[in-house]
Amino acid sequence: MALFPSVDWFDEVRNVFNADDRYRGAGGGYCNCVAGFRIAEKVFVLTFDGFECSAAAEGDDGTLDDVDFYLEMPAEAWRDMVANIAANDGADLHHTLNTLDLDREDGLATSKHGDQVREDLFFRYNQTLQFFFDASALVETEFP
Amino acid sequence: MANKPAAKPSSPNQPAQKPVPPKSTASDEKRTFEPKYNWMNKTRQWGVRVKPGKAGLRLGDLNVGIYGETPTQWADQSRNPRGAVPRRGMPPVGYSIRDKAGLWADCAADLYEEAIQRRWAPATDVPWDTIEPLPDDVEHAVCQVCTELVGYANVDIETITGWQHQMSYGYHEVKQFLATASFDAARHYECFRKRALANGGGLGLEGPGMVNRMILESRGGWTEAVVYLLIMRGTFAMTLYKYLGRHAHNDAERFIYGHALADKARHVTYALDHLKYAMAHADDVLQVVRTLIAIGEGGLTRDLRDPVLAEALAVVFGRGVAKAAGRGMAVYGDMMRDYVATYLGYCQWLGVPRDPARLPPPLNEYANPTGAEA
Repeated sequence: MALFPSVDWFDEVRNVFNADDRYRGAGGGYCNCVAGFRIAEKVFVLTFDGFECSAAAEGDDGTLDDVDFYLEMPAEAWRDMVANIAANDGADLHHTLNTLDLDREDGLATSKHGDQVREDLFFRYNQTLQFFFDASALVETEFP
Repeated sequence: MANKPAAKPSSPNQPAQKPVPPKSTASDEKRTFEPKYNWMNKTRQWGVRVKPGKAGLRLGDLNVGIYGETPTQWADQSRNPRGAVPRRGMPPVGYSIRDKAGLWADCAADLYEEAIQRRWAPATDVPWDTIEPLPDDVEHAVCQVCTELVGYANVDIETITGWQHQMSYGYHEVKQFLATASFDAARHYECFRKRALANGGGLGLEGPGMVNRMILESRGGWTEAVVYLLIMRGTFAMTLYKYLGRHAHNDAERFIYGHALADKARHVTYALDHLKYAMAHADDVLQVVRTLIAIGEGGLTRDLRDPVLAEALAVVFGRGVAKAAGRGMAVYGDMMRDYVATYLGYCQWLGVPRDPARLPPPLNEYANPTGAEA
């Protein structure tokens, strides 16, 4: 049982994601970016390197200066998304990263540097990020 | 000399006999076995050992030594691969794009690898079996939107391939990336057509095509085509895919729009990187792009005044004709505001900021976050 959000939780999801070849085909696969996640007061950073998610780490607000883009939602929205993925073995149409991005006034993905090319990595690798979070369906998750 | 018996004509019911290739003779061996092997000394750099990394042996990894030299102008007019020894007397091919500033983007090799490794196959990867019958008005709207998107994809293919053969071989990373971009476009053509024909509907009315014509008839160079095809139209298509994915009726549509979005984002990344490079390395490109953008906005607004796409999208977003005028048009407005904001963001990033108030109508209306008339 892994607590969401925590590095342990992201590591467990990484293990599922990295071990499943299905995530490498059908438009997934090769992905190079550093993505941040602001979840309540916490900040996490995932490094995607080639075919795998090679690292998960906890950071702080300053860490977000260096990531290509970061996703930010209130804690309850993150919790809804993770719970929905667990219940449906993958996000339903209302809980995909694309939907959450469009449904939020300021979007889901942003950056501090404002570099359009780096921000657009969110769209280029959207399917991989979705695969990553969908992999969390196989991780037993508890919420604080 | 003995006459050979005439070959028996094959009857209509029997296959013709295959000709048997003659066996090699002693004179063949003599002819081929007088080698000089002079070509073995013809190399500009020997002993290269590029090693694969974690992500395999990538195109960009090959740019070592002379093989990575990409001069600002490619004088060779032949198909000589970069780094090979040119053969004297080769007739020129007549490439019109020989300046690096006319096509280059530093990210092209990486985007090529990304496109190859993130490929998808509409025939088997799209979960077609998740498509279920939709109300007639919604199916009509989905098919009309797909008809428009098939048209976009066709223009992508024609434009990219139309310029590709004019690009020098010296910048092969760009040529190879654009080959994947035209293949992406072929894939989009395929999957939107398949969606239109997969659920009891069919193709609808052809789009007005002002932007299509503007893109296809641009003659000022590849950079000009990039502005129209990938920045103006590409950003619009990206925004459409995002919203259509958000309002997908099934997993098949969600898959199609999500993956088309990733492909299109790659094309736009190339465009932004190329335009930045061109502006930094060639005189006057910044001014030219500024002018092209103003011209392009005029063409785009003429297309946007045609009601067909907006109506069809409103029906899709409203989940039927009944709510198209209310909820449907509200989402359409959100989508257009998103498009204009993204487009203006790209212009700003490129160093050609646009004054939202000076955009031609109806674009200026969507540039105003309150939705009020500008």
